[in-house]
Amino acid sequence: MSDVVSFAAARKGAAPRMRIGLLRLTDGAPVIAAHEFGFFADEGLEAELVVEPSWANIADKLAFGFLDAAVIVPPLAFAVELGLRGAAQPLLIPFAISAGGNTVTLSRPLAQETNERANSDGVSIVAALAACLRARNATLGVVHAYSTHNLLLRYWLATAGIEAGRDFKLAVVPPARAVEALTTGQIAGFCAGAPWGDVARRARVGAIVATSRDIWRNAPEKALAVRTHWAEERPEALGGAIRALLRAAKFCDDPENAAYTAALLSRRKYLDIDPHAILAGLPGGTAPDKGCVFFRGAATFPWRSHGLWFLTEMRRWGLVDESIDLRALAERVYRPDLYRGAIAHLGEPAPLADWKHEGAHDAPWTAEAAPAPIAMPADRFCDGAIFDPDAVASANLAAKSALHNL
Amino acid sequence: MRMSLRILLIDMDADRARALEEKLSESGFAEILRAPDDLELAETVERTKPDLVIIDMALPDRDALEDIRAVSAAHPIVMFAGGDDPAFAEEAIAAGVCSYNLSGVALQDVKPIMASAIALFRRYRRVEEELAAAKAMLEERRLIERAKAILMQGRKMTEPEAYRWLQKKAMNENRKLAQVVQEFIERHEADSAAATQAGRKQP
Repeated sequence: MSDVVSFAAARKGAAPRMRIGLLRLTDGAPVIAAHEFGFFADEGLEAELVVEPSWANIADKLAFGFLDAAVIVPPLAFAVELGLRGAAQPLLIPFAISAGGNTVTLSRPLAQETNERANSDGVSIVAALAACLRARNATLGVVHAYSTHNLLLRYWLATAGIEAGRDFKLAVVPPARAVEALTTGQIAGFCAGAPWGDVARRARVGAIVATSRDIWRNAPEKALAVRTHWAEERPEALGGAIRALLRAAKFCDDPENAAYTAALLSRRKYLDIDPHAILAGLPGGTAPDKGCVFFRGAATFPWRSHGLWFLTEMRRWGLVDESIDLRALAERVYRPDLYRGAIAHLGEPAPLADWKHEGAHDAPWTAEAAPAPIAMPADRFCDGAIFDPDAVASANLAAKSALHNL
Repeated sequence: MRMSLRILLIDMDADRARALEEKLSESGFAEILRAPDDLELAETVERTKPDLVIIDMALPDRDALEDIRAVSAAHPIVMFAGGDDPAFAEEAIAAGVCSYNLSGVALQDVKPIMASAIALFRRYRRVEEELAAAKAMLEERRLIERAKAILMQGRKMTEPEAYRWLQKKAMNENRKLAQVVQEFIERHEADSAAATQAGRKQP
């Protein structure tokens, strides 16, 4: 008996520890499930989940080694890698956590005005919203400057010809404060991850007028960022974490498990929110096809073209300067090679390519993958644009050769 | 050292903020402003134009603070103490406090201020942890009493017998007494609830 105890203790002592930071968001589901179901432990990993109140805490704790990994918005991972907002820390993204799940939620009067204008003028929601915003110089909230929300909202509104700063104000409002800010009129709407749109809707202060997929169908959302030093010292542990998360992603993506996952996430130590508000944003939840995707359509695969799209949009809005080679940065941080290596013996398919054209598919398509192809959903942008990662590379090369010619 | 350094304190804990304000005021070189825990953080910063912001890391508002560059020329830099001293930064993070430098205050001026903040946050944290530990112990005792009562009533045990029974169960299962007791009570309550429901169904 005492032998068994000491053996277990010895094994526990030897297990690599991974401290994973996350925010109170629905797309933390795979990490929470992997922890609660013992999937990390099955891979010989001692995971410790740390729920943080802000993206700033996630960034600083990664930068100073208080966290080994985090569920992160990819633009913030690039900001930490580059040291754009504080101390720098090399990070890598070997696993994508989710696609979709964000909502554009407006105050009820603004939502009503937008819908009425869309109907009477026969225009799209975004065109109607742009006209309303221009007329009243309103403020919209996003969750952080280096967030997917900031980039997606700007992209969407720019397709209707309006720009933050010139035609409307954009402010950072932590999602936990967004409902209050909407009530007091400090903001007229916000773009944030699930469940916050549904929390505002259920509190009867907001109405959801669009979701991620209205801006970019199958838009990549959260990713797992890992400190490069931690990963390089423990390649086996990193592989284990990827396998544990893949298993959890499958569970969370199964519509049958939605109610169970919502109950798990609603616990006080995680989201501490009404499970019904969480349920809406889960696969198979009360708002089918509008919420988060965790597994289907290679949602866990860290496409380098996703990283490059975020970087290109960050440059568009002046968040990264011109001197940085975006393609090399996307390649350094996004690591599909580590993903493939970790799951190679599981028989789970992984895409063969690291890059793809984004927005090129109006209808479901099939991605080449081994050992079997993967059924992919449509990935159209709201403006029909097609993002060609090679075009970004050639722009960089052109800049370089222009310099060379001087 | 600049005599008129303006420091904005943003702290959820009013007592702690007052204590820090007093401590920094005593040193005599700073003008201290306290921001309430409010929504209009960006506007407060715009209006008061502090040189330094000290903020409780437990607040979500740090994200809003980081975006102030978008509405003004100010360029807040997360600054625990400066990039040259990671150990100091680690102490600050462990204590749960950080600072933003808005006007290029010199490092040697920031350091003593942050040292005061770190010391104070650490002291408050220790008090909180002690309080939590005391609460947990009281709760454990309450649960043990309840479990003993269930055993004494249901299985006609004496009090020492009931306690020994619980201890033995914990030892056999190689788990903490508190866990075993909590689970025992939950199971008992679930069983009696089911029994009551079954009882109701009978004609």
